[in-house]
Amino acid sequence: MEVLKEKVEEEEEAEREEAAVRAERGEKVVRPMEVRREEAPMTQEMLRDLEKKLSDIEMAIPEKLSTFTKDTIDISKLPLSYQSNTLKEEHLLQVADSFSRQYSHLCPDRVPLFLHPLNECEVPKLVSTTIRPTLMPYPELYNWDSCAQFVSDFLTMVPLLDPLKPPSHLYSPTTVLKYQEGNCFDFSTLLCSMLLGAGYDAYCVNGYGSQDMCQMDLTRDVCPLTVKHQEVVQEEEKVPPKKYAIKPPRDLTSRFQQEQETKKLEEIKAEEERRLREEEERLLDVEKAKTDPLHGLRVHSWVLVLSGKREVPESFFIDPFTARSYSTQDDHFLGIESLWNHKNYWVNMQDCWNCCKDLVFDLGDPVRWEYLLLGTEKSHLSLTEEEEDGLNDDDDVENLGKEDEDKSFDMPPSWVEQIEISPEAFETRCPNGKKVIQYKRAKLEKWAPYLNSNGLVCRLTTYEDLECTKTLEIKEWFQNREDMLELKHIDKSTGLNVDYFKPGHPQALRVHSYKSMQPETDRIMEFYDRARVDGLVKREETSKTMTEYYRGRSDFLSYRHVSFGDRVKKLSLNSAESNPRPIVKITERFARNPEQPADEDVAERVFLISEERIQLRYHCRDDHITASKREFLRRSEVDNKGNKIVMTPDMCISFEVEPMEHTKKLLYQYEAMMRLKNEEKLSRHQAWESELEVLEILKLREEEEEEHRLTISIYDTKRNEKSKEYREAMERVMHEEHLRQVEAQLDYLAPFLAQLPPSEKMTRWQAMRVKDECLSDFKQRLIDKANLIQARFEKETQELQKKQQWYQENQVTLTVEDEDLYLSYCSQAMFRIRILEQRLNRHKELAPLKYLALEEKLYKDPRLVEFMKVFV
Amino acid sequence: MNWLYDSVEPRVMDEDMLKLAVGEQGPRDEAGQLARQEGILFKDVLSLRLDFQNILRIDSLWQFENLRKLQLDNNIIEKIEGLERLVHLVWLDLSFNNIEAIEGLDTLVNLEDLSLFNNRISKIDSLDALVKLQVLSLGNNEISHVTNIIYLRRFKDLRTLSLSGNPIAEEEDYKMFICAYLPDLVYLDFRRIDDHMKELAEIKHQYGIDELKQRENLTQAQLDDERAQREELEEHKAAFVERLNGSFLFDSMYAEDVEGNKLAHLPGVSELLQAYKDKFVIICLNIFEYGLKQQEKRKVELDTFNECVQEAIQENREQGKRRIAKFEETHLLSLNAIRDESEVTNLEMKVAEHSKDITELFDMLMTLEMQLVEQLEETINTFERNIMDLVALFIENVQSLMAQCRDLENHHHEKLLEISINTLEKILKGELDEDLPYDVRALFVDKDTIVNAVGTSHDLHLLKIDNREDELVTRTNSWCSHLVDAIHKDEIMRNRRRVKEIHQYVDHVQNELDNLECSEIID
Repeated sequence: MEVLKEKVEEEEEAEREEAAVRAERGEKVVRPMEVRREEAPMTQEMLRDLEKKLSDIEMAIPEKLSTFTKDTIDISKLPLSYQSNTLKEEHLLQVADSFSRQYSHLCPDRVPLFLHPLNECEVPKLVSTTIRPTLMPYPELYNWDSCAQFVSDFLTMVPLLDPLKPPSHLYSPTTVLKYQEGNCFDFSTLLCSMLLGAGYDAYCVNGYGSQDMCQMDLTRDVCPLTVKHQEVVQEEEKVPPKKYAIKPPRDLTSRFQQEQETKKLEEIKAEEERRLREEEERLLDVEKAKTDPLHGLRVHSWVLVLSGKREVPESFFIDPFTARSYSTQDDHFLGIESLWNHKNYWVNMQDCWNCCKDLVFDLGDPVRWEYLLLGTEKSHLSLTEEEEDGLNDDDDVENLGKEDEDKSFDMPPSWVEQIEISPEAFETRCPNGKKVIQYKRAKLEKWAPYLNSNGLVCRLTTYEDLECTKTLEIKEWFQNREDMLELKHIDKSTGLNVDYFKPGHPQALRVHSYKSMQPETDRIMEFYDRARVDGLVKREETSKTMTEYYRGRSDFLSYRHVSFGDRVKKLSLNSAESNPRPIVKITERFARNPEQPADEDVAERVFLISEERIQLRYHCRDDHITASKREFLRRSEVDNKGNKIVMTPDMCISFEVEPMEHTKKLLYQYEAMMRLKNEEKLSRHQAWESELEVLEILKLREEEEEEHRLTISIYDTKRNEKSKEYREAMERVMHEEHLRQVEAQLDYLAPFLAQLPPSEKMTRWQAMRVKDECLSDFKQRLIDKANLIQARFEKETQELQKKQQWYQENQVTLTVEDEDLYLSYCSQAMFRIRILEQRLNRHKELAPLKYLALEEKLYKDPRLVEFMKVFV
Repeated sequence: MNWLYDSVEPRVMDEDMLKLAVGEQGPRDEAGQLARQEGILFKDVLSLRLDFQNILRIDSLWQFENLRKLQLDNNIIEKIEGLERLVHLVWLDLSFNNIEAIEGLDTLVNLEDLSLFNNRISKIDSLDALVKLQVLSLGNNEISHVTNIIYLRRFKDLRTLSLSGNPIAEEEDYKMFICAYLPDLVYLDFRRIDDHMKELAEIKHQYGIDELKQRENLTQAQLDDERAQREELEEHKAAFVERLNGSFLFDSMYAEDVEGNKLAHLPGVSELLQAYKDKFVIICLNIFEYGLKQQEKRKVELDTFNECVQEAIQENREQGKRRIAKFEETHLLSLNAIRDESEVTNLEMKVAEHSKDITELFDMLMTLEMQLVEQLEETINTFERNIMDLVALFIENVQSLMAQCRDLENHHHEKLLEISINTLEKILKGELDEDLPYDVRALFVDKDTIVNAVGTSHDLHLLKIDNREDELVTRTNSWCSHLVDAIHKDEIMRNRRRVKEIHQYVDHVQNELDNLECSEIID
């Protein structure tokens, strides 16, 4: 890369020369003829030198670069602006040529500028006019990130034919969009057009990139989807110790010992860290690619977005291939030759020895950035150059107008047609709706919505090794699923499947993680608790237990844990449903009910069903550390007289924080126990219902997985069958209505009236004649129609008779097929005859009626009515 | 009216009758068996029915403290009495009796449903305490005047009313009137009031209601004003500077000062007095503002202190709870282990081990408590010092301001004396131009009299100022000492409670263990 090799002195010299020439160039730009004259005094040597260089350059440019060559593009359909240059464009090209010549003269070491490549019609066009700022009608494309993502998805990347040189052709964005293919220059031109349309201060950059970037090779990059969001650790605000905060109790442990301990711990930690680091380094070594021999020479094009507009706080690069943004200091960008937008073209005059890290993107600074056209809006990035600059600024503003009038040459409007993306193409995005990106240890596949019948739109496969052979986990994203499935996460190493749902699942499912769909195995179901009547948040299952978490219930239940015993073997062949596992223990926890005193508000309730015991733990009072407890033994015993003992004091063991009188009473305890008995029944029933619900959900899920129906918005007129049918029906109705109206407007008198001499008042006689003619004509038509039907009828009958004759004659020799054919013909013919007969009969019935109706109508016709009245 | 009245002997409401009723109406079946075994205390009864008992006088009900529902219908009661203790009563039925006036219901603030159907009541009153009243049944009585209905407007929750069978219900406008004046009513005489009726009634009686409302609003506003003023005064009193935000003190100085008022008639004195008053009021205002500021400071100090103490207690409580939770886990396990153990030596060992655990828990909890006590004591002492300092500073500053008042008074006194003596001289010389009232002139007989008069006035003023100052100082000091005492007392109480709680818990745990041991030994 020449730019890198440039010596500092040389550059300084070049700059000095540039500065000298620049002073005059303001005028030169407008008068290119003079430029040539002025250049004449150059020595013969210099001229030869220049010529030689120029010829060298021309020879170096390869003929064809893109894969979709000119043959595949139908030039004839392209508009005129594509196929020729306007006067202004010609003028501009001359200016550009002279600029390019001066540049190569002044900076002989640098590669020639990428200024006016050929377009698809082999017409040279300035790169700036190839940019067509367009605001897309899709709200999704209003921001730079979605724009970049769209471009990178929509186009297929074609590598440059010669990776060391810019292409000879630069096609219009419309063509690129049409064929969905392009090199980095096509990508960035399209993206730049969209960003400028959306109001960003964006520029196309011609420069040098790393190998990975130029070849769109992401295999050494970590997939952005796999990067876990760094949990932002909220720095807990140190509350200043309050005035009366108590002092901590005196610490009586030895400080020396503590120190020793921490030292030891630190040592161990350091050791571990070192080991980790070594490991990492080793891994990095493995991953590190072979060094690229062409490092720094690979031509690449990307987009620069400057700060200022659209609230962009800091300038950044966008790589159009990957749609990623990079800081302007990123290592992937090794140098900049030039950059342009739709208004101007700037050449980088800064040294790129340290990649792009030292570049200053102050395009208004003529020392750093050499511009092609004077007077067009200069971008001032930094106004740091003291007050002097500020003063000049004012002058600039005043002078700007004058300068514009005098010397500036405006960039002509873009020759490119308006960029349009059809909604279908926008939705399909990737060519054929599918795209695969290979990342480091990951593969990302994308599909257009509705392309896959199960609604799959994205799949990320993560691998354990760099060669991508051992699958670690698979993440699948879905869209438009009727069961609201959003993401399916399969962890191959543990075999754990996690399904995530959007709100709206019929069972309010939110997350479902499981290893198998078999009931009574380990699984966790989370729910949208606000959509559920019972406020269930989460249900965890293992083979022996079921734990449920609730929120926002009116009975303050927050947790229920059920332990099951082994299923009792029944002799009858019952299914699992009718033979539920016996419940061993139910533990329920309740949140504090503020309306009850703490001593009466149960915090935990344990039903030890097999032991017939019930344990209660109450809430703790606000100023206490112990809580009341009560335990009931539910054994019903019989005393020695054979009477049932209802309640004895030892059936209820209680510990009370504040002993109370009424709770000592057996009656109270008996009532409490009766209540608990009922509640136990209820809890068991609920546990049983939960089990049933799990079965139901599992069944539903299986059904959904098999069916995977997709929802279609009612506004989606293309896919929604119902709305389509409806629309078509509506259209048909409209059409019929229209036909009927046309018929209604048919004027049965028109042909007869037309025979009369125009613009004369009709006499009665004439009116009568018109009427009679009309009627007779109609009669004739009816008769004709009857005749026609009759004729057809006769024809059919004759044919049938003929056929029958033929059949009877040849009956013996006929094959089975012929006979079948004959029979089918007969039946069809009979059908036709019957229909014709019916129609004839109907016609005979209706004809007089129709005739009368017409007569009636004619009597009432506004044009004839007055004569008729007189007549009647 | 009551057919039972003549034919049957009235009965006395005594213990036996109540016991019988309670027993009959108590729990049934197995629970009833238990209840009979143990007996039911009157104070546990929630609902009691005493109808058709020919009761003449309500008596002996004072034990039913928690009664919610009481039925005394179809008796021959003539006077409502003996219900004062039944403050939790929600439902009271006194229908079909011979009551003539509503009375004795002033303590039943929770009453929601009151039935006085078929009595001899002629006037609705004495129901002011029943703010939660929802249902009122007053049918078949002798109510005749519409003002009774306006009285019912104060019950905001009243939804059901029955008045049929009263003379008032005979009036043709009766329904309309009630609908208009009691717009929140839903049921009247067991029928739902329809909206159409309500609208009609409202239109018909609009003027009357508007006027009534206007009056009610005025009274309400007045009450609100008064309350606001009272609250403000309370606030100032808490700052110990009440009535110092104006000329109240100054006016009080001259209120009883006969001589001073007389001397005000002297030429030049009124101007002097005005200037004096202005200055005096400014100082008073200074004291007032300073007092409020200091009050704010004290409040902030107290709040921070309370907050910190609460935090400390909460933290300590959490620790205690954690310890107990941890202990309880092991406790259950070891109890089970002991229960399952059959070897005697092992058993003893385990029991001993567990006893040790219990002791350890006790020690731990007590240590925590002692630690907290120490910490709190230190904090309380600091707070005490600070609040004392604050109060002392306040008093000091107020005293210096009061001293300014005194200086002003002295100054004024000197000026007044000078004027008086001058006037006296003028009078003696006969040079005085102006006419002085007779009683004022009476002072100017000789020098002693006038000096005495001026001196008396001065002394009175000084006394007033001193009194005000003393009041402020004593009240401030007593507030301070009360506060500190209360804090100490609270802390001691808290400590006692906690220690008691710990003891109780540990005893309980130990008991559990002992019981287990006993049963083991018996086995």
